Amino acid sequence: MAVNAIDQTRRMLSLVTYLRDRPGARVEEVARAFGISDDELISDLNVLPMCGTSFRGGDLLEIDTDGERIWWRNSEALGSDTAQPLRLAADEATALLVAARAVATLPGLRESDREALQRATAKLETAAGESAGASSRLSVTFESEGGVFADVDRAIAERRRLWIRYYSPARDELTEREVDPIRLFAVGHTYVEAWCRLSEARRTFRLDRVAEIKLLDERSDPPPIEPRDLSAGLVQPAATDPEVVVEVGPGGRWVAEYYPHDSAEELADGGLRITLRTPDPASLRRLALRLGADGRITAPEELARSAREAAREALAAYGADA
Amino acid sequence: MAIAKAERLMNLALCLLGARRPLTKRELRASIEAYVEAFGSGSASGPGDGSTGSEESFSRMFERDKDDLRELGLVIDTVDNLDGETGYVARRDSNRLPPIILDAAEATALGLAARVWQQARLAAAASGALQKLHAAGGMPPGALPEQGGERQLSTLEPHIPAREAAFEPLMLACRDRRPVAFDYRKSNAARSEKRQVEPWTLECWRGHWYLAGWDRGRQAERVFRLSRITGPVRSRTGAFTAPVPDQVTVRETVERWAGEGATSTARVRLRTGAGYPLRSRALHTRELGDGWDEVEIPYGHGLDAWLVEFGPDVVVLEPAELRADVIDRLRAVAQG
Repeated sequence: MAVNAIDQTRRMLSLVTYLRDRPGARVEEVARAFGISDDELISDLNVLPMCGTSFRGGDLLEIDTDGERIWWRNSEALGSDTAQPLRLAADEATALLVAARAVATLPGLRESDREALQRATAKLETAAGESAGASSRLSVTFESEGGVFADVDRAIAERRRLWIRYYSPARDELTEREVDPIRLFAVGHTYVEAWCRLSEARRTFRLDRVAEIKLLDERSDPPPIEPRDLSAGLVQPAATDPEVVVEVGPGGRWVAEYYPHDSAEELADGGLRITLRTPDPASLRRLALRLGADGRITAPEELARSAREAAREALAAYGADA
Repeated sequence: MAIAKAERLMNLALCLLGARRPLTKRELRASIEAYVEAFGSGSASGPGDGSTGSEESFSRMFERDKDDLRELGLVIDTVDNLDGETGYVARRDSNRLPPIILDAAEATALGLAARVWQQARLAAAASGALQKLHAAGGMPPGALPEQGGERQLSTLEPHIPAREAAFEPLMLACRDRRPVAFDYRKSNAARSEKRQVEPWTLECWRGHWYLAGWDRGRQAERVFRLSRITGPVRSRTGAFTAPVPDQVTVRETVERWAGEGATSTARVRLRTGAGYPLRSRALHTRELGDGWDEVEIPYGHGLDAWLVEFGPDVVVLEPAELRADVIDRLRAVAQG
């Protein structure tokens, strides 16, 4: 089992303070308060009896558990100073403050929540003192559409169905659909994951592409599905999706930053050959058009052709030759 | 089996926190089982003890251990005693968390904030901070979502991704105000170049991380996108040479790159039903009646590339310069 020694030390220092004030604490409750599993807690409890302020004569901590409750037989051994609550480290203050400030500025958040975040941030800044200083060197902005956010938030809380008019950039069209919202999440942009009653499937909608939204009176009734694991990224093409190959010059290297891809091979001119997969290759016509002289689609041929044709048709409207 | 590092660090921390006076390295070495086991007690009791080799490796380990504890927030003071020996102590007044009491709503808010990071170091730091607050009795019981009957904070799950390899070293460099060097490839450059930077701030916008700092080579403020850093971030010794501004505006620079921030307006013909994002920022819209509308939209850097995406559904009317740029781009695509 890979245990990070630094994190475990941090946790054990807090445990000592916590247990000192709570004789007979329940394993289950302590694990919950510390956000760890019972097993992790037990492994900490196995290390603590080997620790002590040994300089003062080998008084090791007699911390023991029967698996249910935790007993500390010589809590006086440490002295109240050693077990005092410890100040926050710079990284600890930064992690909480930066995240709290980012969420607090999200448009559409409930006012009561925004206020709670702001109050907590202020208290934490005071308690962290100097440690809070470096937190201003890190900042995060979430983009959100305030009005849409508030409606989705309410729909989830009240378990209500939503009607939306949604813009699909792949098709450059607006579609109307009823959706049962499952969760609201932010990763740079803000999204709602929902059961779409039009496609009878789980869909993720970006809030800034919702052109119109209405809360319906019908009860939301999404089928029980596992929430998507977002740690691997938002776009997760399937192995069976068709392959698209894009060759770009130096000016089109940004494609590799914005499109999840299988491979990006360096080309002699400083460009890239990018291979990616998508369930709907036609949706990449926009990309082919956007690239202009900076790159072109080399496969599939139908996609390359449709981009060329679209460009010729557009040129005709200007009365210009290809 | 060697004594686990967490046990060694824990003993060192408790020793330093419990000490009534500064303890010398020699005393600490003799009091902590893990040091004794690895390096001997360091006393002059036997010929093998305190040899130069083990003395040096003990010192290296001791320095690393102290650095680790400082990362965890411990303030360790060094005091020279009368014999010129250095003593170490973690004073209780400089290590105590000031009183902090959160109500249920505030605790829920911080609980949410602690789950936001998808970056290992900051995620661990956030849980560590919450554990300290719990240990200090600052969190109301039942404040954690796992404890049932929770008070929801909106219904939002925010995530802050930080997949860029350069994130952690740059975060530490910004924190400690340490100059760095890295290879960087500008968005349209064929090759990367070495940059020497005094890092000021990191900012995440639309899910991507950017660094603002002083570029020593160019003697100017610069913004870097972390995903364009091509090699490792190396620390440089020495202090910053340029003053750090009070306000750093990463966002404005990045918005300029992204083509936001319009300088004038453009008039385009748009097929009915097409180009919703253009319509949603239109200043004026006029129905032409023949299946087309005329819209006036903000015109800034990058609008030509965006308009071309709509293919035959958009026709630029003016300005002439934008019209020419769009035609150029369309020609490039038409010729494949």
